[in-house]
Amino acid sequence: MDNESEGLKIKQIRDGNTLTCKLTGWLDPNTSPDLISKIDLNGITLLVFDMKDIEYVFSSGIRAFLILQKMLAPVNGSVKLINVSDNIRSIFEYTGLESMIDF
Amino acid sequence: MIDAFKFWMSKHSLKFKLNVSILTFVCIAFLSLALFISNYSAPILKSQLDDNAQKSVEAYVADFAHLTVLTERIILNTKNTLSQMSEDNVNAIRMLLNSAIETVIHTDLDFTNAWLYIFNPEDVSSGDLYISTDYKNNIIDFEIEHIDNLYNRFPWFKEVPKKENIYWSEPYLDTKTNKTVFTCLIPFKFINQKDFNGLLALTIDLTDIQESINNFSFYETGKLLLLSKTGLYVTYPDPDVALKLTIFELAKKLNQPKLNLIGQDLLAGRGGQVIIPNVPVFNNSAAVFFYAPIKNLGWSFCLVYAQHEFLKPIRQFQIIIAVALLVSVLLLMLIINIIFHHSTKQLLMLSRIAAQYGRGNFEQKFKFIPNSYDIGILAKALSNMRTNLLNYLDRERKAASEKQKSQSELDIAKHIQKSALSTTYPENEAFKIATTMIPAKQVGGDFYDFFFIDKNKFAIVIADVSGKGIPAALYMMKAITLIKNMSRSKRSLDFIFKSVNEQLCEGNDTCMFVTAFMAIIDLRNGSTSYVSAGHNPPLLGNKDGYKFMIPPKNIVLGINEKATFTKGKINLSSGDHLFLYTDGVTEAQNSSSKFYGEKRLLKILNKAHDNPQDNINMVLNDTRKFVKNCPQSDDITMLDFIFLGRKQNLLQTTADIAKLEKVLIWIKDDMNKHNISDKAQFNMITAAEEIFSNIASYAYPEKENAFIKIQTELRNSTYSITFKDKGKKYNPLNNKSPDIKAKIQDRKIGGLGIFIAKKVTDIMTYTHKDGYNILKIGIDINK
Repeated sequence: MDNESEGLKIKQIRDGNTLTCKLTGWLDPNTSPDLISKIDLNGITLLVFDMKDIEYVFSSGIRAFLILQKMLAPVNGSVKLINVSDNIRSIFEYTGLESMIDF
Repeated sequence: MIDAFKFWMSKHSLKFKLNVSILTFVCIAFLSLALFISNYSAPILKSQLDDNAQKSVEAYVADFAHLTVLTERIILNTKNTLSQMSEDNVNAIRMLLNSAIETVIHTDLDFTNAWLYIFNPEDVSSGDLYISTDYKNNIIDFEIEHIDNLYNRFPWFKEVPKKENIYWSEPYLDTKTNKTVFTCLIPFKFINQKDFNGLLALTIDLTDIQESINNFSFYETGKLLLLSKTGLYVTYPDPDVALKLTIFELAKKLNQPKLNLIGQDLLAGRGGQVIIPNVPVFNNSAAVFFYAPIKNLGWSFCLVYAQHEFLKPIRQFQIIIAVALLVSVLLLMLIINIIFHHSTKQLLMLSRIAAQYGRGNFEQKFKFIPNSYDIGILAKALSNMRTNLLNYLDRERKAASEKQKSQSELDIAKHIQKSALSTTYPENEAFKIATTMIPAKQVGGDFYDFFFIDKNKFAIVIADVSGKGIPAALYMMKAITLIKNMSRSKRSLDFIFKSVNEQLCEGNDTCMFVTAFMAIIDLRNGSTSYVSAGHNPPLLGNKDGYKFMIPPKNIVLGINEKATFTKGKINLSSGDHLFLYTDGVTEAQNSSSKFYGEKRLLKILNKAHDNPQDNINMVLNDTRKFVKNCPQSDDITMLDFIFLGRKQNLLQTTADIAKLEKVLIWIKDDMNKHNISDKAQFNMITAAEEIFSNIASYAYPEKENAFIKIQTELRNSTYSITFKDKGKKYNPLNNKSPDIKAKIQDRKIGGLGIFIAKKVTDIMTYTHKDGYNILKIGIDINK
């Protein structure tokens, strides 16, 4: 399945221990596994997702963020979301995960 | 009887009927005349006949009496002379006898002889006879003869009379002359003698008298009979009777006892009239016996004639009448037929010409009929009719072509107008519409319109142009075009009406104006804006019934170019009606000049149907029931709109997570159609993703025949999505909510999806029916 073009695009920028991933497109059950498989967490303690171009976040996406959070836990690393829309923010609020979001 | 006559009248030709009736009446008239004349004249003729009979008999009696009286006078004179003479003077006796004959010669009498018989005083039967005989007025002989027995010579003598009376013999045949004679005699005395000396006699020839009597004819059958004083027939047509039989003998012979009565009358010297029926001589018909006595002789004349004699003239008259009748009838028939032939010829000609006129052929003119009566009048009338018809046709033709011209103009106008009115109702799930426009005249001032402004917005318009006919229609065309064009600008209704008003005011010198109502309905949610320019308030129908809308007041279009317009807003729910109409409905008048009225409209609409066409038909029928036969005074225009809302949208797809994005895009498009807000869309997409993913991942473990049916619906401001699958029975609402209070590091990865879906939607239900898991989520679009 080629999700690079029409599914989810991930643009990774590494800055020391911080990896910033700019996401574009859909973050759904088909694409969410890419977050785990396509991101190299080696030496990363802060994983930042730029959500500016993401319209929806479904439970599969949330699950991916949670998995990444658990993967970074051993190095006291964390996952942060930036540029989150109000709509998506409400989803995080519903699920009690708003602390993930960096304002 | 009358029916038979009518049948007869209807069956035959006029000619036949006229012939038959005229002939019948002529015959009846003639026969009545004949009968009348016969009846009237019969007694006259009868009495005339009797009169004639009497006169004839009397004439003969008088003649005969005259002759015998004359004879008696001669014989008396001769006797007187003889009584002065002595018996010895034979010469004197001869002279006397000759002179007696000579005297007679100068009379009408025919004497056969005159004689003098001087009998012996002892025996009267013997003596000397002195005879002078006349033969044709010549006394040719004077003889003296001695007679031994007078009774041999004159057998009719029974005895010699010895009285001074005249004695008439019975008629007898004179042996010498062989003639029928009778003798008048008188006894005489010579001078100075005391006893009678002899007889003086004149014998009269009856032959001429007999002949005269036999030749006498009375009408056809009348016969004159002369009877002597003994009843002997002196004359009789039958020679076996004449001088041989008396009336009594004949009565016996013919067995006619009535003849005896006549005989007795005759012997008694009486006259009279006796009718004897069945007389053989008269072919056994009745005979009239008319008789009169010759007094001095004791003889009688009897006239016998057939009683029917007097009918003869009547018969003749009847024959004449019959002939006249026949001739008249034939002539009449001839004349009738000639007249009829002539008239019917003309009539046939007229009828042929009239028939041609009837077929529209007016070429044939009339030949001049110089008769100012009957057919002439008819001909003149037909001729006038032709002229008038030609004039009329000419006028009609002109009028028709004029009418056709203006009619075709009207037709064009009507066509244009009709083409301007939308007639095809759009097929759309969100609404239904029906309209009607019944013009009072061919081209009306009312119009309606409906059209899409874009795919979600639908406009309905109704309007009424002041006035009627072509000007109103043209103005209407202008209005309808302006409204439609301006609507394309997608500007709000107040702006549209303001612009239309400005343009309608331009050059509107005749001050025509338009009342109009227009509404634009958002088909996604029923939100409706409307504007009324002085138009009758439309009716809004919802589940609580119909009521008149109260739109913001605005001036009519076309009057004030600076006018502004205020619009109103309502939200239509599914099933709501907008009923638009013109005053042709509420102001429909019945024969009592009462208006149909808004109350009645409201009342009938509250019995309304869902189907707009049914509503319109119902109102139309009710107005017709109200006005009955009154002519329609104004255009009747109605428009009924029912808002249904966009209902259902169905998608079936394989239950494959790979289809997720397409499904979500389809749902998003559907929500866009319904004008769902962004937030609501986000929530519904989020919920839908969770549910679809859930079904695609878990419902079909075997992955065979895995499908999902997705159905969306907007109803009464709720937008819902229903997911149906035939996977294993599973109610996601039974899931325990995740512990959202736990620390992120402690959170379980699963179980979030349904929870999120529940959170973001207003409605979430699950049912299992017919093997389907049915999960429905919904959201209030107005929230």
